[in-house]
Amino acid sequence: MSGGYNEIHPEPTTFWSKYIISFDHKVIAKQFMWYGIFFLGLGGMMALLIRWTLTYPGQPFPIIGNLLFPHSAGVVPPDSYAMLFTMHGTIMIFYAITPLLIGAFGNYCIPLMIGARDMAFPMLNMLSFWFAFLSGIVLVASLLLPLGAAAGGWTSYPTLSTMIGSPGAGQTLWCVAIFLFGVSSTMGAVNYVTTVITLRAPGMGYFDMPLTIWGLWLTAILNAIFVPVLGAGVILLTMDRVMGTTFFLAGASATSGSGDPVLFQHVFWIFGHPEVYILILPAWGIVSDLLSFFSRKPAFGAKSTALAMTAVTILSTLVYGHHMFTTQMSPLLTQSFMTLTMTISIPSAIFFANWLGTIWKGSIRFDSPMLFSLGVVFVFGLGGLTGLHLGTVSTDIYLHDTYFVVGHFHYTMAASVLLGGYAGLYFWFPKMFGRMMNETLAKIHFWGTMIPLNGIFFGMLMIGYGGMHRRIYNPFVYESLQRLIPINTLVTQSAILMGAFQIVFVINLIWSLYKGKKAPNNPWNVGTLEWTIPSPPVHHNYDVIPVVKCGPHELGNPNLKNGRDFQYQTEELVQGPA
Amino acid sequence: MKRSELQNNLAMTIALISAAMLFVTLFMGYAVYRSSAEAWPPVGMAHVSLTLPFLSTIFIAVSSWFCFQVKNLVAINDLKRANRNLNLTMLMGVGFMISQSFLWLQLKESGIYVTSGIFASVMYGFTWIHAVHVIGGLLALVYLKIVLRPKTNELLQKTINVERFWHFLGIVWFAMFMGMFVF
Amino acid sequence: MDFLQFSVSSNWFKLSMPVEDISTNGHLIDGLWNYTTLLGIFYFILVCIGLFGFSYLYSHKRSKTPYYTYGNKKKHLFITAFIGAAVFLSVDLNITRLSNNDMLAVFWKWPDPKTEKVIRVEVMAQQWMWSFRYAGADDLFGTADDIVTNNDLRVPMNTKILFHLTSKDVIHSFFVPSVRLKVDTIPGRITRVWWDANKAGQYDIACAEMCGTHHYLMKASLTVYTEEDFNKWLNASQTIAMTTNNPEDKNLAWGWKWEY
Repeated sequence: MSGGYNEIHPEPTTFWSKYIISFDHKVIAKQFMWYGIFFLGLGGMMALLIRWTLTYPGQPFPIIGNLLFPHSAGVVPPDSYAMLFTMHGTIMIFYAITPLLIGAFGNYCIPLMIGARDMAFPMLNMLSFWFAFLSGIVLVASLLLPLGAAAGGWTSYPTLSTMIGSPGAGQTLWCVAIFLFGVSSTMGAVNYVTTVITLRAPGMGYFDMPLTIWGLWLTAILNAIFVPVLGAGVILLTMDRVMGTTFFLAGASATSGSGDPVLFQHVFWIFGHPEVYILILPAWGIVSDLLSFFSRKPAFGAKSTALAMTAVTILSTLVYGHHMFTTQMSPLLTQSFMTLTMTISIPSAIFFANWLGTIWKGSIRFDSPMLFSLGVVFVFGLGGLTGLHLGTVSTDIYLHDTYFVVGHFHYTMAASVLLGGYAGLYFWFPKMFGRMMNETLAKIHFWGTMIPLNGIFFGMLMIGYGGMHRRIYNPFVYESLQRLIPINTLVTQSAILMGAFQIVFVINLIWSLYKGKKAPNNPWNVGTLEWTIPSPPVHHNYDVIPVVKCGPHELGNPNLKNGRDFQYQTEELVQGPA
Repeated sequence: MKRSELQNNLAMTIALISAAMLFVTLFMGYAVYRSSAEAWPPVGMAHVSLTLPFLSTIFIAVSSWFCFQVKNLVAINDLKRANRNLNLTMLMGVGFMISQSFLWLQLKESGIYVTSGIFASVMYGFTWIHAVHVIGGLLALVYLKIVLRPKTNELLQKTINVERFWHFLGIVWFAMFMGMFVF
Repeated sequence: MDFLQFSVSSNWFKLSMPVEDISTNGHLIDGLWNYTTLLGIFYFILVCIGLFGFSYLYSHKRSKTPYYTYGNKKKHLFITAFIGAAVFLSVDLNITRLSNNDMLAVFWKWPDPKTEKVIRVEVMAQQWMWSFRYAGADDLFGTADDIVTNNDLRVPMNTKILFHLTSKDVIHSFFVPSVRLKVDTIPGRITRVWWDANKAGQYDIACAEMCGTHHYLMKASLTVYTEEDFNKWLNASQTIAMTTNNPEDKNLAWGWKWEY
């Protein structure tokens, strides 16, 4: 492993070294971005297929149904349905959100926002993308297998995910893909953590870092520690499937010995709960920054926000048991996990206090990044508060594995992260590509996403409370669930609507890429380091490594006399007359 | 400390923490299996003889010592002797792998097959996972052998990184030896 | 757009209410749900007041000069800390305490067949059906006189029913919405759940944990009888079991010795 040490690398000249095997963090970020957007579209299509099946069982999926399911006249068959929700979960979590939030923003923002010329290990960074790429190919290829892809849910609980419940190579390829992706994530994490610690511009203390970097950095730490745990889990699962070990086999179908299927759940959630925060922390960071930038005042309690993020990071490692209340762990464990889970609401409440404190008495510009950020505050409020029902043992016993859970984690992990990702994309697009995105289309996209999104996920909370459980192909074989048909229909129609409005985003993205207005160096008038350099930045980012003299949120300082309402991080903090 | 050294040390530390987490997870699983089993090894299965695991331990311990010498010799720029010690490290590493292979053969001959339950799963599975890492470590040693020449940039740093990984594998094996074979 | 019609003609929140609670203790879970939801709504309204109120009051149009503050004055830190503490004390500790009390006093207080009248049922889940086993005349499980039913659970009302559950193949989850309870059935181990129902009728039992392609079809019916009707059914079933149970039948041989 050889480091970059913040030297100027010669600019690559060939197409191959410039766009494919690129060591440049900005190019790798864009690779991750397209990768993420591709899988976001794929996962989104799968979501629509799932919703259609749930609401109109037995009716062929319009337009592409016959192409996808020729043997059942366009109707999604039950086994494909199981593959669809499994792949939807896997793709959205590992292949859409992770590359977008961590791969794209992590790679793009970390060096630029801390004043570095590249990541600490550019080659490792390149490898990280190509491992992710390989992993994506393995996963997509598994869809084409004769027995189909993995179909045991994204959690892949054994013994369903062992040979007892899932014959065929799909589940094995799923394990391989996840392992490869884990390797990629760990490489990225090693790089991010090292970069943030060693390559901050002179003068930049940890609390002078933008909160985006705080979020990405904590995410990387969690990744480095907990992704290998899942790695161990999928290795053992693969051995059970391929070599005939019995780590997770038990009961009548296990011919010999007794493993422990619940052990996989422990391993999975030791990783899985931090993973939730791995996904949300970058979004929190981005939102905390953007709320300040567009309110034109410093982030309220930026230090306590950073510390609260750190607290959540630590707590997230201690609470995973709340995913397993219905497996009947010992009462002592159950009580401990419930209590620990509840403590997460302290840092969460501090976030909300600080976010609202940031827009309080501001001078708010409702540009599209700001709209999406405010949207995050709204949907994360709903997502966080519904978490209370699920962290409480007795209510969780009723709600576990119902659509209430689905609604809850979509609010936190899908809605918040997606809106946070869009906020970041609209915000940094001018820096990334040197062109502005169309603001009108962006606002249409916001409202067209925000309103149906609440229709979908609030509807899910309602049908979940009504008792509809997860992962069922046709809920209406239960007479008692038939009363939920109208809400289910609303959810599906909202989903179709939201899907349709994403086309606006894609059009805006492609159009702006070629025809967008040329972006100035600093279109949003904010002072963090990446806005001090041209859009898009030159290959080595900074001709001269900047020296940081003030915090990232210096906006609205009444002592500023130079006609700007903000100052760059490279400028000495303007003090008033004492 | 120079920034490049700091970066390398830090990155290697994080990478080792990651790898350690993988093995920690395995040990956690082992603790669960062992504590919930009525008898360990299960009734009808013999205790694994300590001879071969002990031999493996000797091999990897000696190779770690040679590896330590490699670093010291690179530090004083005595590449010739460093190379000799590196050869011995690799030899001992290969010796470890051979000893492990005999261990697997022995398990098989005593009627413990991969498919014969959780005891066998742990014995084979965990040592396999460790062995794969040892192969990775051997490849790192081969890499070190290739770059072990005066003109290499930051040779000492590279040596230290490989050395740390090799020691790490030794420590993991020692934990396995104590936890799975001795006790 | 048929959902628009529906929203006019029926009350959506009524639709999303869970099915009727037929158990003695289900109200504890419903009550805690309502309580948590009310607290949640209260805090969500606060967030919305802040979010929409500040967005309105301090939009660029109305508020030209922002208030330059880092929010780290003593007053601000105090307010932030106060909010954090208030949420934790008023919501989290509260519901944790309530839930813990309920669990200890009711849901984890396993009825003891030795000292009180308890109907014991062994449940075996497999892809994709539920099998239920009653001890039969000799009061022992795993004997030839056991009554075994498939996808058909019948219990008397106002009697505690104690279930011991396991699974033959993959993990399933025994979900009875009408009593608000759910427990996973896990191959290789036995889980427990108990409840008593107080309303005769027929209800749904579902599998809540993904268990394969036909997960959605893995449903059973729960019939709650009056004491009299139950005894009538039990006697009739006992007779049938005595005459038709074949000790050689492997599908019937899954019962295990009832412990603890």
